[in-house]
Amino acid sequence: MMARRGERFLDDRFGSNAAVRFFLAKIFPDHWSFYLGEFALYSLVMLFGTGIWLTFVYEASSQGAYASVVALTTATPIGYLVRQVHHWSAVVFVAAILIHMARIFFTAAFRNPREINWIVGLLLLVLSSIAGFTGYSLPYDALSGTGLRIMDSVLLSIPFAGTWAADVLNGGNYPGPQLLAHLYTFHVLFIPAAIVILLSAHLGMMVYQKHTQFVDDPGHVVGRRMWPDYALRALTAFAVTVGLIIALSATLEINPIAAYGPYLDWTVPNPATPDWYAAFLDGAVRLGPAVEFQLFGHPLPALFWPGIVMPGIVLGALFAWPWIDARIAKDSAAHDVLVPASRAPWRLGVGVAFLFAAVVLTFAASDDQQALMLHVPVTALVTAYRILLPFGSIGVGMLAAILAREVASRRDEFGGDPEPERVVALRRNANGGFDTEAPNT
Amino acid sequence: MGDDLSHKVTLLALVAAALTAAGAAITAGTHASPAVIGWLGAMAFFAIALATAATARGLKAADDLREPREPHGPSHPAPLPSDVTRRGVFGQIWGIGLGAFGLLAVVPFFALQRRTSKPGTAWRAGSRLVNPDGKPMRVDDLAIGGVETVFPEGAVNAPEAATLLIRLPENTADVDPARHDWVQQGNIAYSKICTHAGCPVAIYREQSLELYCPCHQSVFDVLGSGRPVSGPATRALPQLGLDIDAHGYLIARGDYVDPVGPDSWGRPT
Repeated sequence: MMARRGERFLDDRFGSNAAVRFFLAKIFPDHWSFYLGEFALYSLVMLFGTGIWLTFVYEASSQGAYASVVALTTATPIGYLVRQVHHWSAVVFVAAILIHMARIFFTAAFRNPREINWIVGLLLLVLSSIAGFTGYSLPYDALSGTGLRIMDSVLLSIPFAGTWAADVLNGGNYPGPQLLAHLYTFHVLFIPAAIVILLSAHLGMMVYQKHTQFVDDPGHVVGRRMWPDYALRALTAFAVTVGLIIALSATLEINPIAAYGPYLDWTVPNPATPDWYAAFLDGAVRLGPAVEFQLFGHPLPALFWPGIVMPGIVLGALFAWPWIDARIAKDSAAHDVLVPASRAPWRLGVGVAFLFAAVVLTFAASDDQQALMLHVPVTALVTAYRILLPFGSIGVGMLAAILAREVASRRDEFGGDPEPERVVALRRNANGGFDTEAPNT
Repeated sequence: MGDDLSHKVTLLALVAAALTAAGAAITAGTHASPAVIGWLGAMAFFAIALATAATARGLKAADDLREPREPHGPSHPAPLPSDVTRRGVFGQIWGIGLGAFGLLAVVPFFALQRRTSKPGTAWRAGSRLVNPDGKPMRVDDLAIGGVETVFPEGAVNAPEAATLLIRLPENTADVDPARHDWVQQGNIAYSKICTHAGCPVAIYREQSLELYCPCHQSVFDVLGSGRPVSGPATRALPQLGLDIDAHGYLIARGDYVDPVGPDSWGRPT
């Protein structure tokens, strides 16, 4: 009743029902892998909800931060739960974005005309990681404070601008009086605002350009209507995501800062390992060469290569990938139909090699614990990882490509794929008969 | 799933969702364990998922729908009836003007330069070495093989001042001859801040006389002036010269000679 009246009220003023009907009748292609991005979206909703709550109890100062978070965690079960849900949502958020991105990559959804949305998506990944890192740092416990100190050292290693950037962030030398206030502003204002703007562009472009699909009918969008089919599935995905995050939060304690103690620049938990999505950077820093160059009489510290250059090259390659891909495939035409990974062995190989390298670096970030378990010196593991990183990645990537090619050729040998479903659109003509519109394949 | 069954499951699931949600809301106001509150809340959402999924299964099975995709472009709009949009020298002037505005937006950020801290640490000539509780260290307070984090007296927890005081075994007094008088009766002191990434070099390996950083596994040689033995560090841990005052307490000969902490562009070595 209320809803009906509200709808009438808005329709009288904006004529909005037509737009609502258009959206509800819109057809979306459907596949289980298209829900990965939605999982990220729903965990973001949780992050905003719990984040707003947390702003009322958090104190953004180096004196009060740790105590305010510990008090929140121990005073009431609901405070503990809200912080747990916030941190677990961040984990699910970043994980969902990464898996969503892998799906986009392996099915070549980033190709013309969707290159800009690939870049927007990458920016969202970068922002999410920074949001995760700043959020993890805000309690200012012994573990995250050490992470901040390493981040500060990485900033300092940048030629020309590094010292300035670190000074501005800290308000002096590390740990400056304004570090936490600045981190807090980034975490609750700049980054969320940028995420909301970019996410709106991300979804807007997706709706405007229409979603890609696996069905080989480039002339049509093939799928289900928003209402009721897709809306019900999206609601299910939402409720499952939220339920899962809350269940994880109620069951597994994450980032138990009370056990680490407050941060002082001379204490550190051992082992010291960052959150999993930042671990590849830490792994790279552990494997990086112990060399310091001099440039115009200024030091260029060893941290610069694994801490700045490596992620810079990786991000640059990812941003440029739609154009690199078009050049390799010799295909810069517009596509709306996805390519299963097995049909493009070289792309599969590149992606698998990239993932393997990321996994090697992530594992390298806990090499000290592995060395303890295996009873080998940690230097031996560093050497092993240094060899495994280039050769293992290339080897595994080539293996994946060769296997995919083999599977494809076997498929051809045994009669190839089943004949793809032919689609013929019929159109009523002026004479009362039907004209066929050949699918433009 | 039949129509009837779908309706029944949806109804039951919605009732379950309402009950568990109410349960979560009520227990949230009490001091129930977070696991109880959380699982009630999670069950409420899982029940909603079940309800929507059952409703979806109850829909009449239909084939996929198709609607035409328009080509993505180009759109070739008709040109605007205006002289202003004409390209040429005006466009370039606009470009330069906007570029100037861009500079205006960026330049103020460079005025953010601020340095509130002086270089160096709180160590001074004659500073007594005190442990984190503020207790001054005598020359024989540490047992042989022992290790303690020390600060200059009156500056416990001062940034960058954390120092590791180590008591060497007697048979290993053969430290770097140039720094022989920086060591007092086997007491030797190094900065605890790693020269690689600024982590605390928290672990002393008594057997091999090495300092080990748990962050990135740099290892420093205690007898060899703190020079890096393995790991990513490239510069020796700064050593603090020690002396003994008239009352038998360990004191510093002065602040660190070498810069403490990681190297940077703005802090030449």
